[in-house]
Amino acid sequence: MNEKIIVALILWPCLSAVFCFTIGRKHSRIRNSVADIMIGIEIFLYLLAVWEFYKEGMAMELVLPNVCGLGVSFRLDEFRILYSGIAIYMWFMSTIFSKEYFKHHQNRNRYYFFLLFTLGATIGVFLSNDFFTLYIFFELMSLASYVWVVQEETKEAIRAGETYMAIAIIGGMVLLMGLFLLYYEAGSLDFEAVHRLFLEKRNATVFVAGSCMLFGFGAKAGMFPLHIWLPKSHPVAPAPASALLSGILTKTGIYGVLLLCLSVFFEDRLFATILLLLGSITMLVGAILAVFSIDLKRIFACSSVSQIGFILVGCAMIGILGKEGSLAVQGTVLHMVNHSLFKLTLFLIAGAIYQNTHQLDLNQIEGFGYGKPFLKICYTIAGLGISGIPLFSGYVSKTLLHESIVEGSLIMAKTELGSLLSIVEWLFLITGGLTFAYILKAGLAIFYEKGKQPWEKGSYLNPMGRIAIGVTAFLLLCMGLLPRIMMDPIAEYVKGFFYEKEWHRIAYFSFVNLRGAMISIAIGLLVYFFFIRKKLMKKEEQGYQYFDCWPKWLDLENGLYRPVLLSFLPFIMAFFCRILSRFTDGFVVFLHQTVLKPAKTRQYVPIGSKFTDFLGRMVDEVVVGLNKTICKKKPIKKSFVELFAFARIEAKRTNRLVGRSVSFGLLMACVGLMITLVYLLATM
Amino acid sequence: MNSYFLVVAILFPLIGGAFLPMVPWKTKRTQYIYIEGITILTSLLVLSLILWTPQESFRFANLAGPLEITFHMDGLSKIFAGIMAGLWPFAILYAFEYMKEEGHETRFFTFYLMTYGVANGIAFADNLMTLYMFYEMLTLVTFPLVMHSMSKAAIEAGRKYVFYSIGGAAFAFIGFIFILGYGDTIRFVYGGVITKEVTGMVLTLLQSAYVVSVIGFGVKSAMFPFHGWLPVASVAPTPVTALLHAVAVVNAGAFAIMRITYYSFGTSLVKNTWAQSIVLLLAIITIFYGSARAVKEQHFKRRLAYSTVSNLSYIIFGTLLMSPLGLVGALAHMVFHSLMKIVLFFCAGAILHETKREYIFELTGLARKMPKLMVCFTLSAFALVGVPPLTGFLSKWYLLQAAIKEGTPIAYIGLAVLMISAFFTALYLFTIVARVYSPRREFDYTSLGQVKDPNWFMLLPMGLFCGITIFFALHSLPLIHYFQAIANGTV
Repeated sequence: MNEKIIVALILWPCLSAVFCFTIGRKHSRIRNSVADIMIGIEIFLYLLAVWEFYKEGMAMELVLPNVCGLGVSFRLDEFRILYSGIAIYMWFMSTIFSKEYFKHHQNRNRYYFFLLFTLGATIGVFLSNDFFTLYIFFELMSLASYVWVVQEETKEAIRAGETYMAIAIIGGMVLLMGLFLLYYEAGSLDFEAVHRLFLEKRNATVFVAGSCMLFGFGAKAGMFPLHIWLPKSHPVAPAPASALLSGILTKTGIYGVLLLCLSVFFEDRLFATILLLLGSITMLVGAILAVFSIDLKRIFACSSVSQIGFILVGCAMIGILGKEGSLAVQGTVLHMVNHSLFKLTLFLIAGAIYQNTHQLDLNQIEGFGYGKPFLKICYTIAGLGISGIPLFSGYVSKTLLHESIVEGSLIMAKTELGSLLSIVEWLFLITGGLTFAYILKAGLAIFYEKGKQPWEKGSYLNPMGRIAIGVTAFLLLCMGLLPRIMMDPIAEYVKGFFYEKEWHRIAYFSFVNLRGAMISIAIGLLVYFFFIRKKLMKKEEQGYQYFDCWPKWLDLENGLYRPVLLSFLPFIMAFFCRILSRFTDGFVVFLHQTVLKPAKTRQYVPIGSKFTDFLGRMVDEVVVGLNKTICKKKPIKKSFVELFAFARIEAKRTNRLVGRSVSFGLLMACVGLMITLVYLLATM
Repeated sequence: MNSYFLVVAILFPLIGGAFLPMVPWKTKRTQYIYIEGITILTSLLVLSLILWTPQESFRFANLAGPLEITFHMDGLSKIFAGIMAGLWPFAILYAFEYMKEEGHETRFFTFYLMTYGVANGIAFADNLMTLYMFYEMLTLVTFPLVMHSMSKAAIEAGRKYVFYSIGGAAFAFIGFIFILGYGDTIRFVYGGVITKEVTGMVLTLLQSAYVVSVIGFGVKSAMFPFHGWLPVASVAPTPVTALLHAVAVVNAGAFAIMRITYYSFGTSLVKNTWAQSIVLLLAIITIFYGSARAVKEQHFKRRLAYSTVSNLSYIIFGTLLMSPLGLVGALAHMVFHSLMKIVLFFCAGAILHETKREYIFELTGLARKMPKLMVCFTLSAFALVGVPPLTGFLSKWYLLQAAIKEGTPIAYIGLAVLMISAFFTALYLFTIVARVYSPRREFDYTSLGQVKDPNWFMLLPMGLFCGITIFFALHSLPLIHYFQAIANGTV
């Protein structure tokens, strides 16, 4: 038993994927239930692992040296327990939700296979103990989840799938590159070993390696400028899959960034500052995009980008604050947990709406939630939570993050970093406000405005779906109301993962902290009433009309990535390849025409005399030139070589004729006489 | 075992193949049994030779002075011979089914069997003379296979193949002459045979000879500048493109380069000199060229052929890094790539055989009709792209490690190009996988007609090789240890 349970935890979902697939070929209904049961067993295995962990009393490590070339290693400690637990929980909830959502869909068997398989890979990512293992499972997860994106097989879905795949592969390659460099520098990819090795010295190669890895992990997390796959793939993926994509898959990227911060760049200011900048941009860009979106799932997807930005800022603050970074640690961890649960709730709500209306456009689903209190309450809990409203769970994590930024700007006051941090603090509050604004926009549209068409009130969600949404929302509600009991312990539980920190807490509901939230709320209300209402909505007879006035050209994917990758680079490549293709044969032909010229070809025989031939060819060349330029419309088609040759023969014949004639003789005699006469006159 | 058996392993398929057209076969069945029997016996013989290796070498003939035909089996031979012994019987099985429609089966199998013997000869060659002889013979027995269909394109391809190969052999011959002149012996000795101190002009001359002979032997592996024949030769029947143009012939080129680099000229002569830079650069260009062209190519088999061009240069790149780690990567990629690429070609061939579709845009939605085939294809494609933990990832991992450890600018360029090429590989294979599995929703499956999986003659080889790929993915360490032993010259 003991450590072997880790392998079971990873392999079980993969095996059950195959099992469900086999069943599903014949009996789709049994398959759906079996999938639920399989994840149920996974929960059991997880609990068993946790129990083993407590029996042992210390982190469990498992090394399989002969597997997969370099050998893989796993570890089970508090942080990994927390995050694999959340992963399994989310998978369970989305699986029980899937049953109804997919009632009328095709290719369900494929969906279930990859759903379960990805669970195994994701657990593998969270339990890995070195970068090599992490990379293996990371890639498996990326590739398996591609199927979720293209599940619907619509045109948009396939296009989004392309984007997703491209980002995943490019990210994976760059990550691998980083790993190579790191392995070369460190000689090991074990987190602990790398952490110890790079405590003091980091040379340029390590920085390059780390940047490559940040690119790779950032691509999965949805960091700017690699966030493009999120707004594209979430709206087209089935709702339970979007919940997982946004709630857990992006977190694997964050997990990678966290590991990077803790092992390669432990307390490295420079790296943390870069991360801070990227995080702030991500945060703001995501929120702005969300404000402009009118597709419900796209709003949530952009919101994910924005929240990932918050978490990245948290990661950066851990690095900047070093030993004093306990607030940043708490904030980051809690916001990760919170965001996973928010997005589970929100995307499942979107799924519930979609399975009834088959629409996601705010204009179409306007008023759907009117008179559906269950959905309304769940949305309120998750929505206000994500906006950081006091008494909801997001408030706690955002306050912690905010406080850590404030702390940083105080410690580093009067340095460049300090002033940067105060700017970031304002960006943080503004983004919080924008969050509130887009949550209000979507919430009011669905739950308070009366739509253009009346929606029937009957049953719109089966009990399983209600459980999936309700339990999560209830959990969030409790977390928000009882932060000391529900949230602090979580953060404290995983603190071993972040090395030594001076642990301290803050009073969540003190005035200083409430003030931040108030500023955000005020900004949010301002944006909603003075920007969204005025610019992005128009009142009509029945309800409102929503516009998407985000400029088309301001789209990174269509404006930059696709042209570069699909037109510019292929052009250069093709050019290069064409040269190479012709090289060998061309060289042979060249030799053939020059050095290895076969016996001389027949000599050119001039037509007519040499002079007329030369002249004719000269004129011909001129004519060719003229034909190409001036006389393009009426090209001259005569050959002057022949023309001159004929003229010469003609002239010769005339000469001969003339020379033989009597009159010519007489003429000549006369001319002779004349000359004689002139000569005589001259001499006299 | 007695070293005498080495010759048997070479001559048995050669003579067996030569007899094939002379015997009046009553039924096809007996002919098939005869062919398969010879192949399996040869493979068993080779495998038992690998297990119980004869220590001494066997001198077959003496031409003049040091020029003798001698066979010997060392670690490197075992790898190359082992690959072929494992693949040939199954490829023949596949060919039975495939060639039913191509016609002229007797002619085809005659040369197909003889190629096996010649390839074994390359593997077992103990000196440069023997290697060179069998290398030339390989050209002669394989070109009828290339122009099998006798269509205009096939004859063109055959002509190009012969011209390139003969030209390459001439280049290789130059290297041979220099070894004859400056080496202690023409036998293969780990670490090289040029032990005398050489400086100045002679050194430059020897290095140039090395470059020329690498280019010469590189023809068979389709290395730039002699890469052109391989994509053109994809007009040959699939058993040829799959086994010969993805495994036997092309690996023979890489194998010969390994031989002259590590066992004749010796790495100390050329390592970190201009000569190494030039040959590395050629390999890098080929890697980029092959994968870039594969992305653009729409013909299924030709795309795979371009992929082979690029992947073979991975092997050559690893070899030419001239470090033990590089050779490990090269050998690993040689074994793993053979397994993956043969499956890919088999799939392309099976699709061609069953549906007559040869362009990629015609393959849409085929996975529903040919599920087993497509599972094999997808798995091998993933492995070739280098999705961890599959085999392609492992070999690339070793190659890139070697490149980083080398640390020279050219090695870093190689590193970057390998990465780019890996991305291209993903691009040109995943587009097929995506197209096959998820057509647009409005796709009409009836347009595919009555297509189904091929029979077990074709499926068995694919399934088996996929199984081996997965096995190596999970448990490759013993093999890698053996490669390390070869690279360090202890086997």
